[in-house]
Amino acid sequence: MSCGRPHETPCSQVVASLSAYIDGEVGAEEYRLIAVHLTECPPCEHQRQEVRRVQALVVRASASIATPEGLRERIRVTVVSDTSHRRPGNDQE
Amino acid sequence: MPEAPAAMDPHRSEQPVGSDPTGEPSDPSDPSRELSDEELSTLFATDALPYLDQLYGTAIRMTRLPVDAEDLVQETYAKAFAAYRTFQQGTNLRAWLFRILRNTFINDYRKAQRQPRFQPTDELGDAQMLDIETRSAGGSRSAEIEALELLGDDDVSAALAEIPEEFRTVVVLADVEGFSYREIADIMDSPVGTVMSRVHRGRKALRGLLDEYAKNQGLVGAWGGEES
Repeated sequence: MSCGRPHETPCSQVVASLSAYIDGEVGAEEYRLIAVHLTECPPCEHQRQEVRRVQALVVRASASIATPEGLRERIRVTVVSDTSHRRPGNDQE
Repeated sequence: MPEAPAAMDPHRSEQPVGSDPTGEPSDPSDPSRELSDEELSTLFATDALPYLDQLYGTAIRMTRLPVDAEDLVQETYAKAFAAYRTFQQGTNLRAWLFRILRNTFINDYRKAQRQPRFQPTDELGDAQMLDIETRSAGGSRSAEIEALELLGDDDVSAALAEIPEEFRTVVVLADVEGFSYREIADIMDSPVGTVMSRVHRGRKALRGLLDEYAKNQGLVGAWGGEES
């Protein structure tokens, strides 16, 4: 989807780099080009907003995950307190 | 390809370790001396256990079953503790733990996933993604992005679960855990370019699936106009 206007950076290139742009994973020049494009192109800006919303939903849904009660203590007891496998060769007595 | 180290510890330090120019006997306050078992145990509990919630949250996205996630995390900690002496203190412990989580999942769990449609080859993952992407592209009007927020957390989790594991894991590592693509590449043992592509396609597929969920629940048009 394009707004039909000519851009310095094509819409297809912007859309392909949107996630990396949002994550701060593009270089300074590419960042600048995409930022300029987004101010000129409502469809691409809409897609940017969509990605941000989806990100927010994933974060929201993940915040509701609760670690099972007792798991921390079980790990502490079975893993950290178990000295048998601390050093390679220790189990050979 | 060359970016990902094969060893369990992906975090190599530039700093030399254990050098003692003075040649004096081991000093308890010297960070380069070898720790006793008790000290190592205390350090591990103090430094690694605080990441339990994050590891469990990612594990449940990987396995999609709480009981498997619990086992996976417990096994991850067991492996991490066994290898903790080789961990380079001061490097990225969180990413190191997530890498062990992912390796443990791949080696011990993914092969045994109960659902036969989730098989462990990248080719199948790509085929599933293409299917999702084709469905999304062929759909009619998209749900308003605001309407997606009417979806419940269970819907979002269900949509995430539909995405092939290697895609949903990178999305979770990026969006929930905030790892950089470089860190995710180390955790997933993938090139950074692959991570970038999977994050992009994973989010896009998720958007498409959420769109389907919103339509199925009659949420399209529920935002900004029509009365329910």
